[in-house]
Amino acid sequence: MDVFHFLIFGFSEALSPSNLLFCFVGAMLGTIIGILPGIGPTATMAILLPLTTSLPPLAAIVMLSAIYYGSQYSGSTTAILINLPGEPSSAATTIEGYQMARQGRAGAALAISALGSFFAGTTSALALAVAAPALSTVALSFGPPAYVWLCVLGLLAAMVLARGSLLKASGMVCVGLLLAMVGTVADGGARLTLGIPSLANGIDFVVVTVGLFGVAEIASNLGGRSEVKVARAVVGPLWPTRQELQDSLGAMVRGTVLGTVLGVLPGGGATLGAFSSYSVEKKISKTPEQFGQGAIAGVAGPESANNAASQSAFIPLLTLGIPSNSVMAMILAAMTMHGVSPEPSIIEAQPDIFWGLVASMWVGNILLLVINLPLVGLWVRLFKMPYRLLYPAILLFCCIGVYSLNSRASDVVMVMVFAAIGYVLKMARCETGPLLLGLVLGPLFERSLRQALQSSNGNPMVFVERPISVALLVITAAILLAISVPAAVSMRRRPKATSADWHAGGGDPTP
Amino acid sequence: MRSSHKTGDYPDLLAGALMIGLGGLGLWAARDLTFGTAARMGAGYLPDVTCGFLILIGAVVVGKALSKNLLTTGHWNVKPLLVLSIAVVGFAILAENFGFVISSAWLLVTASLADRESRWREVVTSTLILTVAGALVFVWGLGVKLSILPF
Repeated sequence: MDVFHFLIFGFSEALSPSNLLFCFVGAMLGTIIGILPGIGPTATMAILLPLTTSLPPLAAIVMLSAIYYGSQYSGSTTAILINLPGEPSSAATTIEGYQMARQGRAGAALAISALGSFFAGTTSALALAVAAPALSTVALSFGPPAYVWLCVLGLLAAMVLARGSLLKASGMVCVGLLLAMVGTVADGGARLTLGIPSLANGIDFVVVTVGLFGVAEIASNLGGRSEVKVARAVVGPLWPTRQELQDSLGAMVRGTVLGTVLGVLPGGGATLGAFSSYSVEKKISKTPEQFGQGAIAGVAGPESANNAASQSAFIPLLTLGIPSNSVMAMILAAMTMHGVSPEPSIIEAQPDIFWGLVASMWVGNILLLVINLPLVGLWVRLFKMPYRLLYPAILLFCCIGVYSLNSRASDVVMVMVFAAIGYVLKMARCETGPLLLGLVLGPLFERSLRQALQSSNGNPMVFVERPISVALLVITAAILLAISVPAAVSMRRRPKATSADWHAGGGDPTP
Repeated sequence: MRSSHKTGDYPDLLAGALMIGLGGLGLWAARDLTFGTAARMGAGYLPDVTCGFLILIGAVVVGKALSKNLLTTGHWNVKPLLVLSIAVVGFAILAENFGFVISSAWLLVTASLADRESRWREVVTSTLILTVAGALVFVWGLGVKLSILPF
């Protein structure tokens, strides 16, 4: 069977009434949380994850994925209309999009960003369908040493992606690894549990995520908050002019390619893709003086790129089992919870999951187009909802979600411990993304390291014996080299300056 | 460390101290585990190595922070965190003994005290709506294992 047969098979899975329903629910939830500041896709997925246990695996994964790309999709709405990105990856869109809104062309900017997202979403889903099976056949031959390198690569990339100091990010990775080691070891003994019985089964990923990304976010939003000023933006006619369409077509294609490639790289992801696309468009534009004044290419490019990247980020997860960012780590947790292990063999062994998910992305993108454009007025009104009404509800969802994990009240108390840690980490300006990646990759890292060194009788040469290990070593070294080059250091600082206070788990409403 | 001073607190110093502290705590918690060798790793091998790295990184962060210009951590306002803690821990205690309705009402009302802007009329209305909706959707609909009422 070729790709198209598989895709038809995938569509038959994705279009089943229940999967369609959950795709719609996910896209709808994603749209809402993409607009609401103060809650992001990571926290939402963590809250909902335990509640999906009674669903079939595909329905749960389809819904959680739709939440992610749905939030990327709608984050642009508030970026354009009120200059506040609902998600960090839409920060690049504010630059031109808000200028367009001030000129009464918000409708066109929204339409172009929706069309760009749709084009990018469908294209990168195709890239996923073609690239993942090919990559997974290569990955099937990976042994434990290669997996050690992949984990190192993933953790390193998580540090590179974090804003601020690399050193602090590496510390956060270590904290995450350490948290992953808490629990019971193979020989049955307790490890690092500090004598607390409820830690005997390890620290659940959901508990940490809800604490760090959900509750800590609320505490710091309430701790230092100023009023969100909402400008009265006029949406204007939705349909872009012929000229605007012409200007954005190239930007969409370039943004899609750039986003797809950057999304695959471990540690890449939507925000990086969007900012890269913006600078590319500005550089190659025939009329660079228009940039900053509402150039539509500066909306079309980044919006396509962030959507493309959010979907191609599934490639390393589905082929290697290595999540490239904290949202992918959530999907990994969901798969594990549902007994689907994202290994290279998943495409062969469970084609319904893989092809169903890929096809659901097309379905989801069409649903998002329908949800977003006609209802744009409703979404803007949602954004104006005061935070004092919002946060108690978020807190309640956090508590119920975590409680339903194991029906254990002690988990809810643990959330508060991590919320306090998260609050202090925020004050210390430490990013929590690398911590989460360390926590997720920890078990795979320890298992692979143990197996590799056991088989070589402690000889570290096992890590450079196979060509694939050497190749991964070279990539790791290249990343290390690249981040120490001054140009790369300033590159890392630039998006930081533009998207200063935005966190991967949802932004603070104050810019 | 929990000072409420508006100036004079380095975020990096705090971060470094936190890493050294957590590393130390980890080493102490892993004190009875076997270390083993690279070929036959004991349960304590990776924890000890990770904690070592963590302390090392923390020390470098602290060292660098001392030579940097003054940078404040931002305003410490722990009141919301404390109020949220009371609300959430209370929810955990009440949920298993008195059911969803009481614990949810406790959580929503107490948590709203964390924000000065909360208005009583709104709090009562949203508590009523969210508690009823939560009981219907989560407990009755999604089968979260909680009783709805205390009896």
